[in-house]
Amino acid sequence: MRRLTVNPRNSWQKRVEKVGLTYHTLPDGSPYWNESAYWQFTSAEIDRFEAATAELQKLALSAGDSMLDQDRLAQMGIPKEAMAAIRAAWNNEPPAIYGRFDLAYDGTSIKLLEYNADTSTGLLEASVVQWYWLQDCFPDSDQFNSLHEKLIAKWKDLKDYTTSPVYFASGGSEEDSMTVSYLRDTAEQGGMRTQHIGMHEIGWDSKRRCFVDLNNRPMGTLFKLYPWEWLLNEPFGPNALSTLPPDSPLQEYGPRKGRRQWGSMLWIEPIWKMMWSNKALLAILWELNPGHELLLPAYLGGPRHLRRYVRKPLLGREGSGIAVVQDGKVIAGSLDGDNTQGHVYQALATMAEAAGKTAVFGSWVIDGEPAGMGIRESSGPVTNNTSCFVPHLFR
Amino acid sequence: MRKSQDVRLVLLTSIALSMTACRNQPQNCVDSKNRLLSPSACQTGGTSGAHYVYGGSSGGHVGDSVVGGSLTRGGFGSLGGFGEGGE
Repeated sequence: MRRLTVNPRNSWQKRVEKVGLTYHTLPDGSPYWNESAYWQFTSAEIDRFEAATAELQKLALSAGDSMLDQDRLAQMGIPKEAMAAIRAAWNNEPPAIYGRFDLAYDGTSIKLLEYNADTSTGLLEASVVQWYWLQDCFPDSDQFNSLHEKLIAKWKDLKDYTTSPVYFASGGSEEDSMTVSYLRDTAEQGGMRTQHIGMHEIGWDSKRRCFVDLNNRPMGTLFKLYPWEWLLNEPFGPNALSTLPPDSPLQEYGPRKGRRQWGSMLWIEPIWKMMWSNKALLAILWELNPGHELLLPAYLGGPRHLRRYVRKPLLGREGSGIAVVQDGKVIAGSLDGDNTQGHVYQALATMAEAAGKTAVFGSWVIDGEPAGMGIRESSGPVTNNTSCFVPHLFR
Repeated sequence: MRKSQDVRLVLLTSIALSMTACRNQPQNCVDSKNRLLSPSACQTGGTSGAHYVYGGSSGGHVGDSVVGGSLTRGGFGSLGGFGEGGE
């Protein structure tokens, strides 16, 4: 693995905008999409990333079973009202599209940092923008990236299980809007009819007991780029749960009768993703697989014997609330702030570092299968919403 | 070879990010107890529990109860503060 510098393409901003990356520059004027460098891997290294991703997905599935069998949801800070719906969704297996493992790799070992399983972004960059960059700059090289065709294939599979149109909702940020627009694009190419709606525009019809679009039509299938933990804490949270088993009335339509077990509205990603997007997953994975080569020691409640560790809020997002501690001293972030929710304490990983940057390797899963990689670089040890995206290739 | 053979986009480059709303009924901004709020409370996304009710009637003053509406909007999206839900 090497980080190499290269001249950016002429008018790179226009080129990436043309394929949807309108948020290529950070508020301070520095590039978010950074094509003045790239990461180069060997084919054997990519094989390792692919195998590690498949193995981690397998471990996460076992951890989900264990969380439910051992009634761990309360310990994870998951609201009591959502527990039955999570259990039902886990057992009924409504569709799940995607997720992203964030991995540390120092050239020797791959370690799981966290699993962004519910509302992953960086997808357009990994799937489309770096693919076009490769065609322009290194057309004879390869890239760990079959995201686009795997997404289209997944939507094709789901066509008989969903209502039409499939709604795609996001909050207000440009990045989220363009991410759901890209997912819509792949769904359309998979044969679905789609429609965008803002999360705040979704209506609830209390007579018909259903969510409605801006034309007051009932919504049957919704992809939401909006975390379940936010959604359940908002005024419509109880309504959302009422559309899910076990509370929801059964629906029976379409060629696949199994659809009726998924509730009166099909939510993508499903509510059980609350288990995987919760950082307690890291501690539970370690508990179930102590010493596993892809895992870092991680614990709930305290750092135990760890001297160099990262404290992460169970429901932390985009690096917020993270503290890096070494021999009792905080070397990045802060231990102050919101201490009402629990934390996970994870051993500090050895990261790839080059040109003063620390890299995190985001390994994508589509329909449970490894599908590609996107790399984010930060000036410090914590990846956040100002970390830039750098393309990759392998030979 | 693991890269996609072709990455064709049909919607993304031409997508309109703004939606045209079609609302035929009067809307009222209310709190979690269905009491009338100033319209700005629903526009900023910053007032907890503020959402729209469509249809129904009230005395028209802040604090009045709105009765008769069955359709509400704005019950999602407030925690994000119109920011990022993705990560």
